[in-house]
Amino acid sequence: MKMKNLLYLATFIGCLLAYAPAFAQTRVSGLVTSAKDNVPMPGATVSVKGTLTGTITNVSGKYTITATSSDILLFSFIGFKTIELSVQSRTQIDVSLEEEATQLGEVVVTALGIKKEAKKLGYATATLGADQISVNRTVNFMNGLQGKMAGVNITSLGSGPAGTSKIRIRGQSSFGGTNSPLIVVNGVPIDNTNFALAQGNLSGDGSVQNRGNNNSDGGDGLSSINPDDIETMTVLKGATAAALYGSRAKDGVVMITTKSKGSSKGIGVEYNTNFTTDIPMVLTDWQYEYGQGEGGRRPTTPNPTSGVWSFGERFQPGMTQVLFNGVTVPYEPQQNQIRDFLRNGNTFTNTVSLSSGSETGGFNLSLSNMDNSGILPNNSFNRKTINLGFSQTLAKKIIVAGNVNYSKEINRNPPQFAQQDFSIPTSLYTMANSMPLNVLSDNAINAAGNEFLWSRFTNRTNPYFNLARKFENIMRDRIFGNVSVRYNVKDWLYVQGRVGQDYWSRQQDYNFPTGAATLAPAPAGFVNGNYVQEARRQREINADFLVGANRKFGNFGIDVTLGGNQLYVSSEINSASGQDFVVRDLYTIMNTRVKDPTYGFGERRVNSLYGAAEISYKNFLFVNVTARNDWFSTLSPENRSVLYPSITSSFVFSDAFDNMPKWLSFGKLRAAYAEVGSDTDVGPYASNLFYGINANLFPVGTGAAQAPLGFISGLTVPNANLRPMRTSEAEVGLELKMFDNRVSVDMAFYNKITRDQIVSAQISDASGFTNTRLNSGQSRNRGFEYLVNLVPVMSDKFRWEVSVNGSYNTTLVQRILSDDNGTDRDYDNNGRAEQIVVGESIWRAGQGQIRQVVGQPIGMLFANAYSRDPQGRQIFDAAGLPVITPLVSFGSVIPKWVGGITNTFIYKGVSFSFLIDYKLGHILTSGTNFNAWRHGLHKGTLVGRETNTVVGDGVNQRGEVNTVAAPLQQFYEQARSRDIGEQFIYNAGFWKLRQITAGYDFTKHLPNKLFIKGLRLNLVANNVLILKKWVDNIDPEQAGFGSDNLNGLEATGVPTTRSFGFNLNAKF
Amino acid sequence: MKKIISSFGLLLALLSLGSCDKGFDQINVNPIAAITLDRVFILNNAIVSSSFSTATLNYDMGIVQQIISPNSGVLTGANFNQLNNGNAEGLWLQFYRNVVRNTTDVIENTRGVPARSNLYNMARIWQAFAFMVLTDTYGDVPYSEAGKGFLAGATFPKYDTQESIYTDLIKELTEASAALNPAGTIEVSEVLYGGNVANWRRLGYSLLLRAGMRLSKVNAQRAQQVVQAAVQGGVFQSNADNALIRHTPNYVSPVGNLLNATEAANYYMTDVLVNALRSTSDPRLASIAVRFVGAASGAGQTPAVANRTAEVQIGMPLGFDNVSIGPIATAARLASFYDYSQVDRTRVARVASPCFIITHAQTQLLLAEAAQRGWVSSSAATFYAAGVRAHMNQMADHDAGSAIPAAAIDAWLAANPYAAATGLQQINTQYWLASFLNGPEAWANFRRSGFPALRKNPFPSQQIQGNFINRMPYPIAETAVNLTNLQAAVQRQGPDNLDTRVWWDKQ
Repeated sequence: MKMKNLLYLATFIGCLLAYAPAFAQTRVSGLVTSAKDNVPMPGATVSVKGTLTGTITNVSGKYTITATSSDILLFSFIGFKTIELSVQSRTQIDVSLEEEATQLGEVVVTALGIKKEAKKLGYATATLGADQISVNRTVNFMNGLQGKMAGVNITSLGSGPAGTSKIRIRGQSSFGGTNSPLIVVNGVPIDNTNFALAQGNLSGDGSVQNRGNNNSDGGDGLSSINPDDIETMTVLKGATAAALYGSRAKDGVVMITTKSKGSSKGIGVEYNTNFTTDIPMVLTDWQYEYGQGEGGRRPTTPNPTSGVWSFGERFQPGMTQVLFNGVTVPYEPQQNQIRDFLRNGNTFTNTVSLSSGSETGGFNLSLSNMDNSGILPNNSFNRKTINLGFSQTLAKKIIVAGNVNYSKEINRNPPQFAQQDFSIPTSLYTMANSMPLNVLSDNAINAAGNEFLWSRFTNRTNPYFNLARKFENIMRDRIFGNVSVRYNVKDWLYVQGRVGQDYWSRQQDYNFPTGAATLAPAPAGFVNGNYVQEARRQREINADFLVGANRKFGNFGIDVTLGGNQLYVSSEINSASGQDFVVRDLYTIMNTRVKDPTYGFGERRVNSLYGAAEISYKNFLFVNVTARNDWFSTLSPENRSVLYPSITSSFVFSDAFDNMPKWLSFGKLRAAYAEVGSDTDVGPYASNLFYGINANLFPVGTGAAQAPLGFISGLTVPNANLRPMRTSEAEVGLELKMFDNRVSVDMAFYNKITRDQIVSAQISDASGFTNTRLNSGQSRNRGFEYLVNLVPVMSDKFRWEVSVNGSYNTTLVQRILSDDNGTDRDYDNNGRAEQIVVGESIWRAGQGQIRQVVGQPIGMLFANAYSRDPQGRQIFDAAGLPVITPLVSFGSVIPKWVGGITNTFIYKGVSFSFLIDYKLGHILTSGTNFNAWRHGLHKGTLVGRETNTVVGDGVNQRGEVNTVAAPLQQFYEQARSRDIGEQFIYNAGFWKLRQITAGYDFTKHLPNKLFIKGLRLNLVANNVLILKKWVDNIDPEQAGFGSDNLNGLEATGVPTTRSFGFNLNAKF
Repeated sequence: MKKIISSFGLLLALLSLGSCDKGFDQINVNPIAAITLDRVFILNNAIVSSSFSTATLNYDMGIVQQIISPNSGVLTGANFNQLNNGNAEGLWLQFYRNVVRNTTDVIENTRGVPARSNLYNMARIWQAFAFMVLTDTYGDVPYSEAGKGFLAGATFPKYDTQESIYTDLIKELTEASAALNPAGTIEVSEVLYGGNVANWRRLGYSLLLRAGMRLSKVNAQRAQQVVQAAVQGGVFQSNADNALIRHTPNYVSPVGNLLNATEAANYYMTDVLVNALRSTSDPRLASIAVRFVGAASGAGQTPAVANRTAEVQIGMPLGFDNVSIGPIATAARLASFYDYSQVDRTRVARVASPCFIITHAQTQLLLAEAAQRGWVSSSAATFYAAGVRAHMNQMADHDAGSAIPAAAIDAWLAANPYAAATGLQQINTQYWLASFLNGPEAWANFRRSGFPALRKNPFPSQQIQGNFINRMPYPIAETAVNLTNLQAAVQRQGPDNLDTRVWWDKQ
């Protein structure tokens, strides 16, 4: 049956791949045999490397192909090692193919690093090869994978090149803010802590917060990885796939396999260089009819009204304005302030690797340097990595393998984000529309060396003062890797031990510069300003063992794996903050007047035992059962142990029945059910109330004595009775390959229930706390995902491939709070659906608040709304200002539809592909537009300018048509003082032309004797075009916080960038 | 086979590792945090955290027409009689999260501990102060169930009526003041008085006097009883008894900090205040005010043009925004609105200037009113003069540069004698001055007494129906998480807006 199918397949491929004589060529023919038994192999593929020219062997294993003497022929057959042979002057080439050491079929790296034949899997995975990861890349490689994998939602936070990449698989399930998948490198988890922004996150989900108001995105764990080192990446999507990784894998697993072995015996050298230029996508469409000023007046004296308000007069030729420095300049629009301030960024990556490989082992060593300059003029990121992978078989029974990755990252002046003071983006996006940039740059610093006051709104720091005086440095040294020893006791039995560690130390320092206008003066004898210096250390150790056995009994096969793991995580932070300096511009803690040190420490352990058994029948029916027990140190002794099972099955019906239609080459049905337990949302020591002591003493009475001030740590009510959260997920899937693999389909439907969620619920401030932790939340993720690959056109010269992936996911909040008996009750007794507040806009709740509401999708955006009468007309009060309805729900901030379409064209070796991706079905509240509105930059604020008053379109509180004229500036500034969010809520969806890649392999044009053995060039473009969006003035992706509690709460950051560049790969 | 056996031996050894969780209890003990603490340090935090927030600048001090900003947006408040949620909820968040949370912890952990009986009673007194400010600002507020999110699992506390809160506050202040025991443990690390029991007792009775007088409109009879009990117990005797938070460069005054930092050029003294002081040649004008003569911008407010003499001070008129004030300033021959008088940020409003919670001056003036009403036997005139003198002397405690010479005080008192016919007006106008920079108390006493006789802010676009803002609306967060309890309070009290009067503010 199997052979027959392959024959069909081969025949069809052969028909489609016709001969293609193109150059001065000779005919080469020969015989392909199996090395094992010397039997001729029909259906083996013979092709000319680097071209589409190819054929297959006939029933007697013979072939004929046209090639030039410089061509290299590739001989391949599924399950056998591919052989490359140079034609040279030969016309007769016979080869014998050796079977691959692995089993037949496509192989996938699954949990714990166990390799499995894809057809045995009972759950959905997505795999990307090295090219898809490294050719068209971004600084954090994960951001370059947007739209490429079904059901995987990747978001670049728009927080600068070295920022965090947010990955969500099959949506958000837990009400906590962290729903990131587990990142596993070569079988062992690594830490993926992110340092993205979290202010406004009310849910205390363990997000790492900066001290003070320094809001930069310091990146995540993935950014330490050099994409050139990646051999394959597999995403295990469901809880099912992750059952063996336990607690941290409830949101899926990203399995990265790095290169560990070369392909040839000698030393292979490979060099890869990648260069891209990042161009800021400034999408502002401000009004340029009325210039800067307040109350309808342009500035005619130095300070009062210049700076950040654009409520001035209509631009007329010949008008002048007086700026903050007393200079009179023409009163005219300045249309390119943001673009002119920014520069083009560059990213330049160079990687050299050495590798060697043989049957018994090999190694791969790579060195890489990446230099990035950001679009903010003082922002840069450098990453150096060394990666070594090796494996060696000793005495045919013992395999020693390992890998180690060292990286050193230096991130300078990452953009300040979502913040008022000291934020260059915020100043740029609120600057008055007639403020000339050169005046700001020439007058950033006054005679005293301080910030030259340029606005009465001193929170808007002059961006040039920031550039000159504010700094931030983040340096991370990181080493991770693992070593394993595997002993093949018998053919069918092995024992493996493995230990891996991820350790990083991260140093960060930043200042709030002396002389900034927002800072209060220092006491006599000092100058003002702040300086913070921090060192963090994180260690994660995984030690595990595996015992595996497999036997065949007639038609049945059994494959059993048992194992255990001990996870230890510790994190430490030393942080010192100093305020006011003795010596100006000397930023050290010793130089400060008052010092505030803190030290943080936490450690936790998870012990686990697990086992898996796979039973197969005739190689077409597979059933896999797993069980895992975890013990969590963070939970109380009664609650710390949790056992959870999974069962998956795969049925390859195309192999099971002989009477399958010819067009169907492969068909598989799969079904799975799994449970996972987790303590993810509980940090260490969450069960106790702690006390602390403030850094500085306070005078006692009028005497000389001083006394400490104590405090109660944290605003979350501790809970000692937390149980592990449980996720159970069921999925069914179908895989089909049809019409000689020109059509393939992989789809999955899933239903995932996450219960006993540890919910951090907002409570009344009058309780003395802001949150309480409860153990009752339940959500349901439901959706489908699909991947369809098509080859609409296939000829020897031209090939067109289409790959479409997409997913639909909804997450329903089913329960939030319950009493101890597990019965739902009306927790706050107000007759409303149970709901909790998990996140708030940096401005205040009225601008945007994220809540979980029972019966609604997860992540509902609430905001203050305009009050309306039954006819829908807006209501205005006696002052002519809008009446507000507090905190109304507007919809979910989580996209329902995520996907991408890739078209690839290959013509005579030239490949060209482009990717269009989309996210749809969600909303956001735009802080940038909110600022633009209250600053008079938004086009919507043109209404009423002629009279400098606004008569709101609607009715008064008595139901009569509103006739009260409100002062214009106040009318628009009410958005701030009354926190009116409704105005700034937009559809957050988009369609983007995400990537374009064009490539050509020059290898066949290289002279044989040249030291270069292979050469490939790709031209790349990333984030090329926004095809459709609904939000004004910004890219909807220009909004980002790492936590899911803050989704949809856009606050000004740096613009996203469009990148162009190339990738050149040479082999020696 | 041997190898297999040894392999399984290894496996069993590893298995035992998994099920052994003995180390877990140790690993989950936080090695760097205290699970208990001397509660006097927590009381210290409650005290220092009570310093009035910047929200009181936008509302309380503006409602009583002492300090205003002409700017809108975040600075909106009493200057336009408009709602600004961020400032309206400021005091609620500050007092529940930082004061009540701490006093509750102290009270619950020292109740019934004889050795800490004084600490227990001091915490009760401070908590009573905090709740008085909260209920005066918002009306009905969570009281009996407040601050007990951890101790009692009360995460959604009910709102108590202001009447019941005052009843209990009076009981608490009475009991706690009486129970303070000089023979008990002296809490020497306490920051207000170093644990001095006599001081604390006088503080307790002075607050009781304040609470009693607050009821004068709604229940004069009860007010009289409470006032008499307070006097009986013994109130402040001098400025040395004043309860003040002595800010340092490390623990700065929120108001002082704001007036020196981001909003240095955005708040001004009103013409109401400047004229009131100038009309009687009050020496306090020169103590608190500064005018940057000729300043055309915030940057123009330089030390070189700072003038602190009383004669040059010009207060900003109410009712204008930062544009409409322009012509008014021009008409007053000022360079711009930046040329109006400000509270001196180098003296009384410096970064580390103290925050006065309750003072001898206020206490004497309340006694003056009580005497005027015949509730206490002494002379109203004497209390009045003592109150004014105490406040003028107190200026030196704000800042040495604000000190008023004794001769100037004598001269002013001689020129402005107490007259029983206008007694209540005189007393409460002085109380208004004596509560300068103590927004909550100035506002509460203005609502209670109706003095000084302020005119409605004429700003053209307002969100109140009456003449003055009468209370602060509840925080938006409460409508999100504690709606039922909030609605019950609204049901009793009236709409949740700026107009509704609190219980003791009977019309």
